Amino acid sequence: MTTITHPAPPTVIEETPSGAVGRRVPRHDALLQVTGRVVYGDDMHAAGMLWARAVRSPHPHARIAEVDLLPALSSPGVRAIITGRDVPRNRYGFTHQDQPVLAEDCVRHVGEAVAVVAAETLRQAEEAAARVMVRYEPLPAVFDPLEAMRTDAPRLHQDTNVAEHIRIREGDVEAGFAQADAIVEEEFTTGFVEHAHLEPHAGLAIPSPDGAITIYSSVQRPFLVAGDTAKVLAMSQNRVRLIATGVGGGFGGKNEMTFEPWIALLALRTRRPVKIVFTREEEFQATTVRHPYRMRYRTGVRADGTLLARAVEIISDCGAYVSWGASTLAKASIHAAGPYAIPHVKIDGYLVYTNNPVGGAMRGFGVPQVGFAYECHTDAVAEAVTMDPIAFRLRNALRDGGHLPTGQVLERVTLAETLRQALEMAEWRREGRAS
Amino acid sequence: MRRRGRGVAWMAYPIGFTSYANPSAAFVKVNQDGSAVVWTGAADVGQGSTTALAQIAADALGIPLDRITMVTSDTLQTPMDLGSVASRVTYIAGNAIMRACAQARQILLEVAADELGIGPEGLECRDGWIMARDLPERRVPLADIARKAETGKGRPPIGAGSYNPPTTFLDPETGHGKPYNAYVYATQIAEVEVDTETGQVEVLRLTAVHDCGRAINPLLVEGQIQGGMAMGMGYALSEEMVVQDGRVLNTTFADYLVPTAMDVPPMDVGLAEVPDPTGPFGAKGVGEPSLLPTAPAIVNAIYDAVGVRLHELPVTAERVLAALRAQSPARQPGRHS
Repeated sequence: MTTITHPAPPTVIEETPSGAVGRRVPRHDALLQVTGRVVYGDDMHAAGMLWARAVRSPHPHARIAEVDLLPALSSPGVRAIITGRDVPRNRYGFTHQDQPVLAEDCVRHVGEAVAVVAAETLRQAEEAAARVMVRYEPLPAVFDPLEAMRTDAPRLHQDTNVAEHIRIREGDVEAGFAQADAIVEEEFTTGFVEHAHLEPHAGLAIPSPDGAITIYSSVQRPFLVAGDTAKVLAMSQNRVRLIATGVGGGFGGKNEMTFEPWIALLALRTRRPVKIVFTREEEFQATTVRHPYRMRYRTGVRADGTLLARAVEIISDCGAYVSWGASTLAKASIHAAGPYAIPHVKIDGYLVYTNNPVGGAMRGFGVPQVGFAYECHTDAVAEAVTMDPIAFRLRNALRDGGHLPTGQVLERVTLAETLRQALEMAEWRREGRAS
Repeated sequence: MRRRGRGVAWMAYPIGFTSYANPSAAFVKVNQDGSAVVWTGAADVGQGSTTALAQIAADALGIPLDRITMVTSDTLQTPMDLGSVASRVTYIAGNAIMRACAQARQILLEVAADELGIGPEGLECRDGWIMARDLPERRVPLADIARKAETGKGRPPIGAGSYNPPTTFLDPETGHGKPYNAYVYATQIAEVEVDTETGQVEVLRLTAVHDCGRAINPLLVEGQIQGGMAMGMGYALSEEMVVQDGRVLNTTFADYLVPTAMDVPPMDVGLAEVPDPTGPFGAKGVGEPSLLPTAPAIVNAIYDAVGVRLHELPVTAERVLAALRAQSPARQPGRHS
């Protein structure tokens, strides 16, 4: 068994007579990386190991009428199959505990897992998974968050599909618009984005004779995943050990528990190690994505280029479960007005359930969506008052002691300095486009 | 016709979780020979955080980097960590390691004080030595003190520390509060060429200047920024999941287009390092900010080139072409001409 301990920095590192901080040291595992010796999730093997494969919903929204495991259980090589009924506490989530480890009564998105098979070989696990008979009764589904906000829309969880409404208020936005010489309105849209980490979700669970479990998994948050796994399996945390393998990219896609309780349960049940590797199709369809946002920006500006008021409405397509949707929307809302001193700001963010793929954490956590919007909008507002976009930015930039619409005061603000250096590096001259 | 344009975008971005407590913890021990082991729950996810954390530990202990071993991300062996997310590892796990190292260092300094006849407050650990601050020639090998601490004084030089950035929750009605303890800033510039007949956008050059506080390891910071800009380019121009009735239609890398080495243009990266007094050696972070300004800089550059404002990501060739065709013929492209 490979023990994952990270080696000391290799000896190629030169002596450090004047300290290590600030030095351009190659990463500790550079040599291992380029010689193919880093152990990733899919590199994990154990003697006698089984392979796991999930049975996933083909429907975006359906009631699970019946699950018949018998044909799959008699499939060659099958050692165990689990469904939601086998999960002691089949519910989890960070801010909203709305997500099952395995769907029991109802599936809410295409690719939602209903059962997991463990078999002697990967091929046998795939064949058996195809023989798990799930009878679905399709339910009306909703894919457009604006439609999902209507009261007559199909509902995913409770009495409303609006899972969260975040409000930020600063000053009096209507008074600000009233003083404006120009008002610029734009609407921005961003789509579904996959993390596209080259290494898929992959891991191995190894049972101990005393009923404890060790899980190797390619994750960004080993403690969260171990804690959630212990919780849903109703196990003591000291008996669920999670060791992060090398991580072949995460970008937020490996921020939460996915297969860990499945392979842990299957390993404890069969007393055999159990391995799983998601396919690329599963990565796209069944794991989290970057939330699509619709963003309406309305900005009031004085003729001299001073920003007065900004109203932003964000609609985030949450998908079937909240996951990190509420936290990403909070971060997006806090930063939606951009790094500008604007006396009057009103921001409303709505997180809306749909039967689309589940949105989760992805590098930038909601802010790349609003960042695209506020910086493109900045250029449009500058144009409305016939100002150069750079001069316009500098005029309205937050400075030391300035504050965001949350009231948070910023110090050591280096916007202008980064701009100055970047313009210099890009050899930006006012007189001309490069063509 | 191919037209060139340039665009600018900047950003302010926080380090760590929004409001929620997000601590990291660390353990450290100094061995009898003056080498050291650090236990951190932070997972290196390819960004090289284990190396940066080792650099922090090395200088916090005054021990050369090649004598530091990191044990990481094992929930049975390492202390808790909230994860390699939210651009938080260098700042938060780094601060936890600083505190753990300070405890171990204090033991070493107290033992060395007897040896050198100078109070611990007048001593420092540097480059494998313990020396008088004002009189560097009054020094003793750190290894001798480590051995003496453990075998002579019975005080093994160990430490444990944790750090949690002070934050508050937002008021639910006004959204007011202080959800973060540190911010970073950046500007990026894109230069593009747009083919007005096909709508195809080629990124010719990207420039980035980031203030991540003190760069613990500029090589790794630059790598993060380069990778982030490539990801931002994909976000701007090509990465689009086609989802129909909840079903993803493009589930392979053949039809979901992530930028490759063939697509990525020359990138110039600069650092505007302003140390933050709350960060380990003044460091903050760079992981997520690296991709934030890229997409708007590219989209603003497209406007500069051909005079159309695009409002939907990704800005595919089809969308550029549709916008060009909808453009009023009187419109003259270019703001900066």
